[in-house]
Amino acid sequence: MTATAERRRRATPDSHDYPTRSYDLVKEFVVALAVVTALSLLLAAIFSSPDDKAITMSGWAKADPADVVATAAGELAGTTTSATYGPPYNNASEGQSVLGLKLQKWGGVGIPINSADLVLQPLRDVAADPGLATALRVWDTLQASAQTRLATAYSDALAKAPDGNPARVAPGRYGPVPSLTSAFLRLAASGGLEGALTSSGTFYGGDQTRAMLLLSDGAYLEDQAVADHLGGDQWGMMNEVGNYPGQPWMWLYTFWYQVKPFSTSDNADAQVWALMMALTVGLALIPWIPGLRDIPRWIPVHRLVWREHYRRTQQS
Amino acid sequence: MSIAFTAGKYISWGVVSTSVTNLLVIALMVLVFILALVLPFPHAHEAPPAPHGEEDPS
Amino acid sequence: MSTVSTPGHRSWTGAVKGWTSRTLPPKQVLPERQPAYVASWIYVFGVLTLTALLVVVASGLVLAIGGAVWWHTSSIGHFTNSVHLWSVELFFACMVIHLWGKFWMAAWRGRRGLTWVTGVIAFVTSIATAFTGYLTQSNFDSQWISGEAKDGINSIGVGAWFNVLNPAQMLMWHIVLLPLAVGIIAVLHIVLVRNRGVVPPLGDEGKEVPR
Repeated sequence: MTATAERRRRATPDSHDYPTRSYDLVKEFVVALAVVTALSLLLAAIFSSPDDKAITMSGWAKADPADVVATAAGELAGTTTSATYGPPYNNASEGQSVLGLKLQKWGGVGIPINSADLVLQPLRDVAADPGLATALRVWDTLQASAQTRLATAYSDALAKAPDGNPARVAPGRYGPVPSLTSAFLRLAASGGLEGALTSSGTFYGGDQTRAMLLLSDGAYLEDQAVADHLGGDQWGMMNEVGNYPGQPWMWLYTFWYQVKPFSTSDNADAQVWALMMALTVGLALIPWIPGLRDIPRWIPVHRLVWREHYRRTQQS
Repeated sequence: MSIAFTAGKYISWGVVSTSVTNLLVIALMVLVFILALVLPFPHAHEAPPAPHGEEDPS
Repeated sequence: MSTVSTPGHRSWTGAVKGWTSRTLPPKQVLPERQPAYVASWIYVFGVLTLTALLVVVASGLVLAIGGAVWWHTSSIGHFTNSVHLWSVELFFACMVIHLWGKFWMAAWRGRRGLTWVTGVIAFVTSIATAFTGYLTQSNFDSQWISGEAKDGINSIGVGAWFNVLNPAQMLMWHIVLLPLAVGIIAVLHIVLVRNRGVVPPLGDEGKEVPR
């Protein structure tokens, strides 16, 4: 057999060579559209959709004031998640890497953010608070190392206080830090903090990066999410608040976060991303991967799809 | 409907954890897939009436 | 192929016309007949995915009329959001069942590999579109999801250009860039399907086709 003949022998036949039957594509489309539209309307009418209100800074301040104070002290001490994040916000760390590729570092600091300013800049905008003005003046005269020392001392003392209650912190040398953090709590409770963080210096505030980093630095947001099974180690990526369906199509992406080595890795985000990219490329290339592309031959589900065809061709 | 205000129901099996709703969605998809394979398609058994080539079959 | 230009002097228009009519001959765009082996419910999940996408787009257009936060305050807006959510769930369910079906039919055979690839790209692009939708809800979900997702995006070094904490940017991706991408890839996918025709049954390789 020549190579050409061999190829022809194994080639998939031309669909144009088969006998045909009438098939109304437009009718199929219209009926499908009607069915999907009706189903969507029906499901929407029966089940509605979730809309848990966004957490506000004043809501946070009222529900968990100790967390707001601890977060503010952490921002000043430079110990929060955002303060130690690395690119794209700062150079506090290199960030994650995968296979030796320091992608996060190479991305650079494209959104420079000084975490202490998440607290200080809104406070500087507050007018008519002499105590706060004095505390800010004292803070500004301190050397950076002294600022860090005092904020860290207060941060540690808060952590040891019963319930993290600022009113029950052991006496110590904290400088202006307690004044700053309590003023920050007042500002948050007043409802003015979001605006101060997102539209300071600009009328239109569309970018929530600074407000979101501050909120994420606290424990309150995560506590709420974990209570709703949305945590990263709870398969949260595919879940939704309440009993609503989430994103079941994310099952594999979120699965990797639950198992070693990813569940204990500092580079889990980069590793899982790289793995999923590789798997996606693999999925796209199945037609050219021997073994994978043969699975449908070995497990003959297609006998069901084309059972009429096989029955007919066996008869003839 | 007030499912927004009730806590989600979750089931766990070893490392696997899923909301009952997501599980239901996936189970329904599998069921629909199986039904699509086994349910007879209308007119599938009819002998093909027209010879090929007369009209474009693609 | 028929162009009206004189031989040796083909116009650009003629070339494009020739290419389109070769790629999609008029008879192949909306044929009234299909190969006799096209007789299973599994074949309807492609068109179900397409129609679900249309419902997603239509409900998205209604949401666009009121703007990004309208749905929090209007009962019509909230219902439209619900239709948007459930049509997305139907869209993904149909697409995944379609994918399962095409896998078990090994539908990439006979020069149909590119059709499979465009389908996978459509799937991934749809996931990205849905993701940005969750970020533009301006509620607790978008707060939590953006806060978590930033770590994933930042870890690969693109967080400064694709800032999930910036809802104004994510809204543009969700309602302009990514739907456009999904639409284009869906059209390519469908053109390829029409161009190549429905894949013949497994096991017919090299057989004399019964006529």
